[in-house]
Amino acid sequence: MDFLAEAKPFIQFPGGAKFSIGFLGIFHTSVASLAIGFAFIVTIFQIVGYRRRDIRFDTLAKRVQLWHVCIYNIGTINAIGLVFALSGLYPQFWSQIFTQFFWTMMLEELLFFMLATTLTLHYFFWETMWGHKKLHIFMGALLTPMFFLQFFIINGMSSYMLTPGFAEEQVSLWSGTAAILGWDKLAFYNPTFLMLTLHRTAANFAYGGFFVAAVCGIWIYMQQEDKLKRWYEIGGRLVFKIAFTSFLALPFIGFFYAWVLKYHGKEAYDNLMIGRGDVVAGGVDWWWTKQLIVAAMIGLGLVFSRRASKSKDEFAIPMPAVYAVTVIYLMFYLGMGMQMTWLFFWGSLAAAVLAGLWGMHLMNRYEGSGRAVFVLMGILSFLTVCLGGYVREASRPRFVTPAGQRAAGFNRIPQYTEIYHPQERADSMEMRIVRGQPDYADKLPRRPERPKLEPETAADIVSYRCISCHTLERIHLYKGSDWDRVVGRMRAYGMRLTDEEMQKIVTYLAERNEKQENE
Amino acid sequence: MNLPVIETPVFPRWVWIEEITYSHIPIATTITAFMLLAPLFEYVGFRRHDPRWERLSKSFIWFSLILFSPGAALGTGIPMFIIGTYPEFWSRWANLFFWPLMVQFMFFLAEVFFLFFLYYLTWDRWKNRKPLHISMGVCAAFFGYMVQVVWDSLGSYMLTPGGVPLPQVDEPVGFSLQAALNPSFPFLLSHRTFGNFSYVLLLTGGVLALRYMSQKRKNPSSENTIYFGWAADTCFTIGFLCFFAQPVIGWFYARVIQREAPVAFMAIMGGHSSTHFIIKMVMILTLLTIGGTFVIKRHSNKLMAWGITAGLLVILVIIQVHPPLMWLGGSALAWRVVTTAAILGFIGWIWLCRGKTDPKRPAWQWAMFAVGLAAFLAFAMGGFVREHSKSPDTVYGEIVKPELTDTEADRYLLYDKWLKPRNEMPEDLVRKRPESWRAKVEQARRDGLELTDDQAERIIRYLEENY
Repeated sequence: MDFLAEAKPFIQFPGGAKFSIGFLGIFHTSVASLAIGFAFIVTIFQIVGYRRRDIRFDTLAKRVQLWHVCIYNIGTINAIGLVFALSGLYPQFWSQIFTQFFWTMMLEELLFFMLATTLTLHYFFWETMWGHKKLHIFMGALLTPMFFLQFFIINGMSSYMLTPGFAEEQVSLWSGTAAILGWDKLAFYNPTFLMLTLHRTAANFAYGGFFVAAVCGIWIYMQQEDKLKRWYEIGGRLVFKIAFTSFLALPFIGFFYAWVLKYHGKEAYDNLMIGRGDVVAGGVDWWWTKQLIVAAMIGLGLVFSRRASKSKDEFAIPMPAVYAVTVIYLMFYLGMGMQMTWLFFWGSLAAAVLAGLWGMHLMNRYEGSGRAVFVLMGILSFLTVCLGGYVREASRPRFVTPAGQRAAGFNRIPQYTEIYHPQERADSMEMRIVRGQPDYADKLPRRPERPKLEPETAADIVSYRCISCHTLERIHLYKGSDWDRVVGRMRAYGMRLTDEEMQKIVTYLAERNEKQENE
Repeated sequence: MNLPVIETPVFPRWVWIEEITYSHIPIATTITAFMLLAPLFEYVGFRRHDPRWERLSKSFIWFSLILFSPGAALGTGIPMFIIGTYPEFWSRWANLFFWPLMVQFMFFLAEVFFLFFLYYLTWDRWKNRKPLHISMGVCAAFFGYMVQVVWDSLGSYMLTPGGVPLPQVDEPVGFSLQAALNPSFPFLLSHRTFGNFSYVLLLTGGVLALRYMSQKRKNPSSENTIYFGWAADTCFTIGFLCFFAQPVIGWFYARVIQREAPVAFMAIMGGHSSTHFIIKMVMILTLLTIGGTFVIKRHSNKLMAWGITAGLLVILVIIQVHPPLMWLGGSALAWRVVTTAAILGFIGWIWLCRGKTDPKRPAWQWAMFAVGLAAFLAFAMGGFVREHSKSPDTVYGEIVKPELTDTEADRYLLYDKWLKPRNEMPEDLVRKRPESWRAKVEQARRDGLELTDDQAERIIRYLEENY
């Protein structure tokens, strides 16, 4: 299936294939992330209500769970739409990635079904299980780990698309006997998997919490009864603070995420940091926009937390922690060693200060009620989730033809085919962040050359390379003659070998087996 | 296209895909039927000022919502499983039907929006704005039904492509009106629509009958007991009457399959799918006899009796003119006489037992439940037969499944190159078994039957091994 050689067009989509996938992907992610947050918040409310013997928390939990059930199905259907869209618009990519991660996807699907069933039973049998409250809370609490398992799986696949890591150079799914069918461990546990998972985990808790707080804020606006208003205020404040605590972890995780990306997805990193490629669309740098919104959220959260910390009756986030994170966040680009640090710094500071002032004004206007801040934070949080997902996808290098041009249709070839030529892209980039060698570089003493440990014989190569994954005993015990297939598969699993080295190993092992048989 | 195919553990991949599909379809069909019926029942309740209809309608929607999330999750699993296990089929099929799939997705979203947000959540809030609320239910039902329309179109193409080839994946198509409106599409759609109403209502009636029994034990005169008795009877009767549309539609559907997919037709009528088809017919017979007896005992009025009589007479006519069924057993006359006697006897039975005995007895509640199960099995078996009949093709005449065996390939060849040109059915292979198949095939070739040497050898081998 060589689309490139055939130069055949793909199915066309109004606005472009990228747009449709981007739209569906962001739509799905924003809903799915919300569902994860909702599940967690519902459990918190239920536990608090049970411990305090306060039915109002349980009622609030049920209302949130009803919304959860409703939006969950929208997320599910979106996922189906995404599958169909990818099948038609990116057939090669989709078939390939499915071949590579089929069993992963099946596990994800099983979790999906278990989740849907548990969620349904949890909500629709709320009253029926009233006499078994602990069991009911446990059932609801199961949703969060199930969501996370499901979300780990998707993170494995989507982070692979950004940083293929070990699989990047070696694996070709179309290489015949070496093809990976169904499960690719090295690709799944790629360099950014951990950071993406951590980042999304904290972000989902924050986003879900802010959204619930926003819903409480809207309910406060809509309610006429003071008693109910007070009640939604309490619920909103609790969930807002939980969300903000989770939110404070994000700049730290984000820093290390960016750091990993710098080494394993250099061009994507550059695109993000200096605003290149599809990160800039419609003349707007969406990464920067997202960061400014995050700064505004920090400003709003800081003001709210400061006000809340003065009350002795409610749980409050320690203010030194909030101040520390704010300062660290503002120093983000300094830490990354980027050129635009000061512009970013002042822009972020302005966004944070303005949002903080506005937050203060809103809280004063409503006599200390956080309703407006809740709603505002919910909106900003939704925007950051959408923009975060967008820029991650948009940061990947654009794909080019073998001649180094962008042509219609060719931008739908996945990264790990041979069509992507990073060297051609690098020529056209203005690497402003690379300052070149300092003047004194030549005067520095040279680092001594390390002695090379080049393996010389085939036996050495076998010892050095094979033992990194398994013992040599496995090789000795294998009596088959199809060493080319076996070694080919090992390459597909990630063992780095040149063709010459592979040939050496295959010949050596085949001869050794033959010799043993003769003896 | 050289796409790698994922192997599955324990069972072959076609078993897995059928299991996943059959776990989704009953849920989806139940939801669709309930969604179509709910606003209708609500409207009846509104016009008659009878709260029982509204309660029944609301319980339909409540149950649909319980089923919705697991059903949608299973539905997501089907394409994912197919992409890995039947990659070539999926890539080419999704290429041909990209836009219908996208439109289906939009319908699905609209369905959820109306069903959850504007119909279910507003039920109590809009209790004084019934027409508005019912119209939201109609919108939800419309979009839900549109989802079914799209899937029936795409599914029927797999059996009767109607001359539209399955494009290669590098030949982008996106949508073919001719493929979407393929020959069996209207018949599959109408057959499924009435089939859904019928089986869902019969099964619901059966389940509600059991609930009626349980309520009756607790308190025979409670409001719940009266409600469940009424609901079970209403659902069951409507479901039973809906069934009578099925043989009529089914007859036209069979004719289209006979013309457009003759090999599949042979497979159903005496071929490798006939066992399942006969099981389906037995289930329908159970449904008709027990269900008909109950309905006529419960509703003793003449209108009902004439209605059932008319339905049975229509079935009688269809059986008489259905070409392959006439030949089952070898004698058209015997077949006609036996079926006529049986149906007329049953009509007599209907008129005799009209209004007699008490249909509220526990035995009848269990009988209703058994009929509900029989209807469900008939429905499930129908879907299986449709898919199984075109095996080893995934899309009839266009693409074969990857796990094709030699026996399946030879069987297909036998139907296509031996039976079809000779205007025979698989039943004839048993009834007209010669002394030597080799001699018969050779004679047929000499008489002008077009077969290559290889094809003749394969057909002879298959006939000698199986007949």
